[in-house]
Amino acid sequence: MAPCASCFLLAVMFSASCKAITSSDQMCTEKEANKTYNCENLGLTEVPDTLPNTTEFLEFGFNLLPTIENTTFTRLVDLIFLDLTRCQINWVHEDAFQYQHQLDTIVLTGNPLIFMAETAFNGPKLLKHLFLIQTGISNLQFIPVYNLEKLESLHLGSNHISSIKFPENFPTQNLKVLDFQNNAIYYLSTEDMNALEKATNLSLNFNGNDIRGIEPGAFHSKSFQSLNFGGTLNLSVILKGLQNSTTQSLWLGTFDDIEDQDLTSAMFEGLCEMSVESINLQKHHFSDISSTTFRCFTQLQELDLTATHLKGLPSGIEGMNALKKLVLNVNNFDQLCQINAASFPSLIDLSIKGNVRTLDLGAGCLEKLEDLQKLDLSHNDIAASECCNLQLKNLAHLQYLNLSYNEPLGLQSQAFKECPRLEHLDLAFTHLHVKAPQSPFQNLHLLQVLNLSHCLLDTSNQHLLAGLVDLRHLNLQGNHFPDGSISKTNLLQPLSSLEVLILSSCDLLSIDKQAFQSLGKMSHVDLSYNSLTGNSIDAFSHLQGLYLNLAANSIHTVPPHLIPTLSQQSTINLSHNPLECTCSNIYFITWYKENLEKFEGLEETVCANPPSLRGVKLYDVKLSCGITALGIFFLIVFLLLIAILLIFSVKFLLRWKYQHI
Amino acid sequence: MEGVTAVLLLAWTLISPSSSGKAWPTHTVCRGGNLEVFYQSCDPLQDFGFSVDQCSKHLKSNLNIKLGFILREDIKELFLDIALFTKGSSILNFSYPICEEDLPKFSFCGRRKGEHIYYAGPINNPGLEILEGEYQVLLELYNENRATVACANATVICS
Repeated sequence: MAPCASCFLLAVMFSASCKAITSSDQMCTEKEANKTYNCENLGLTEVPDTLPNTTEFLEFGFNLLPTIENTTFTRLVDLIFLDLTRCQINWVHEDAFQYQHQLDTIVLTGNPLIFMAETAFNGPKLLKHLFLIQTGISNLQFIPVYNLEKLESLHLGSNHISSIKFPENFPTQNLKVLDFQNNAIYYLSTEDMNALEKATNLSLNFNGNDIRGIEPGAFHSKSFQSLNFGGTLNLSVILKGLQNSTTQSLWLGTFDDIEDQDLTSAMFEGLCEMSVESINLQKHHFSDISSTTFRCFTQLQELDLTATHLKGLPSGIEGMNALKKLVLNVNNFDQLCQINAASFPSLIDLSIKGNVRTLDLGAGCLEKLEDLQKLDLSHNDIAASECCNLQLKNLAHLQYLNLSYNEPLGLQSQAFKECPRLEHLDLAFTHLHVKAPQSPFQNLHLLQVLNLSHCLLDTSNQHLLAGLVDLRHLNLQGNHFPDGSISKTNLLQPLSSLEVLILSSCDLLSIDKQAFQSLGKMSHVDLSYNSLTGNSIDAFSHLQGLYLNLAANSIHTVPPHLIPTLSQQSTINLSHNPLECTCSNIYFITWYKENLEKFEGLEETVCANPPSLRGVKLYDVKLSCGITALGIFFLIVFLLLIAILLIFSVKFLLRWKYQHI
Repeated sequence: MEGVTAVLLLAWTLISPSSSGKAWPTHTVCRGGNLEVFYQSCDPLQDFGFSVDQCSKHLKSNLNIKLGFILREDIKELFLDIALFTKGSSILNFSYPICEEDLPKFSFCGRRKGEHIYYAGPINNPGLEILEGEYQVLLELYNENRATVACANATVICS
């Protein structure tokens, strides 16, 4: 009987896997039932019959549709998003999308278009996004103008466009994004720009075009959300050309693969004649950086000088009083004081991450930045035996501090006394030396998020997290606990406001029943990638509605008395555990199958034992742990034998008795 | 009866063609100067073209490469993983960001799914002296969703 059953199981498994293989060969993947489908890379020449009429989002890229006609998508009247990337489309005929009234996005990227009919886009009532990237367009007349009144974004990158002049009847009034990346635009004339006059808050992207000339006055009294001239060789042409314009964000960075001229102070003259809030100059070289280089940056609120080969910023820059955000990532500073922070008294946000050299924080280098709220000093090889009060002197308004991915830091008690308003502190992957019983975070009463993952903490120090009365989110991933266990008294006890606790990859073997007793507000606990057993679940008996991640642990069985604890939680992940699928675990398995909606990672929640069921999904397991027919047979035989024995012994007893009367 | 069905099904799965069965051809990056470099695409969906301007065991810094392929994903963010093996044991593993939202290093960063990319230019590598031996290199390009953009199995033979 048993071998037959396993044969059957094998057959079912094989037929299931065959089905999966054949379906992936021809069928689309369902991402959301009746709504979202992915049919990419299937070599399809038409919409498959298996797609429901109710499909709204369809990814149909990398198939074969040389011609699109009004019959191609007839059936799919509910389409909202249609991706036809690289389908070798040559022709888009009349009324190709006439039945798709809801359609708001059409992606035609990478198709060798020969012709699009004048009425190609007729039908959709709210066509908002059109992607015509790398479709071989050389003339904007190619794009049919009918029914584009609602268009918000038009993507025309990687074509052969040399002039951005739209035909007169082209509707531009709702355009917000116009993308001309990687074309052959060399010159922008007043006439070109006037064709875009009706658009408001426009973002224009000329990244990867080598613009060599702008007609004087072309941008006169025009305003833009953003302008991108990335990779342009001559910045002074751009800045002169933008005279009298208003722009929120101006991207003038360059790239590793583009040879550029050194920036001189004279190149920025044009900035004095325009209004900009934010400028990016990434990867440029400054030839003669001095305090006068920034003469025309007075109105600026954000300046990004990422990877501009800076060894320092000149002292005494005047007029940068308005600057709110400064990005100095990936530069060559030796010491933090070399940025001469005193020039930017209004700074709220400062980022210096990924410095090419080891950065020395010095003492009080940022003390003039009294309004600073956000400071990123990650990936800088910063090392300090005593941190951080001297280094962060006078940063009383700091709310966010990132010191992750640095070299070892020594922290004493009240190590962040200078920034009492900190709400978010990230120290991930920075080794911390804290001598017990010091409490480095003592005065941080407002701290809500603390990331201490992979900090090699001494977790036996009960006072390590003292003082964090408002902490909501704590990440202790990759730290180790004495003997691999969290005992009844532990460093988490002061954290009464804690909601999210991450203890994954901590090599934990056990958790005491009362370890989390003082943490009554927790809603999310991640204990994945440890070696915990089923008994650890007892530590959550006082909590309800928890997201509990126990994936990749050593749970074999869940004892019946712990099932109520699990049932009061909202989501549980037990995937990648060596689960026992024998009658010793029958109570749990039965309960699991009745509560599948509570579980996450169902496909990876499989049996490890007995060997015959290894790899079988727990929800597929059928166990019968009552008495089997064979058992009943033996029981009856056994009872019968007992009865016979009884009768014989009574008979024998009686005979013996009568013989001795 | 079920046993027979199981055997038949097993045979069918073994015989029926699998979609990922076809391997891409091995291409030569360069041969000469005591160095031979071959690669094979390990992306089941497509092959790609690659060449280097110089082939010598004294690898100079800032090499120029040529690279051509079709993007199957957007590359607003793009990362490179390199794993180096010799004689079956791992020598080096590292991960390097090529395109990031706040630092697009190359002009092709931000291009879209479906675009054909041709890049001819420098790659900013450090100079390197290759020791004699045979090396296996696994290179993988992927985006912020960990979706594969390109994948290569390369063999470097230095004599």
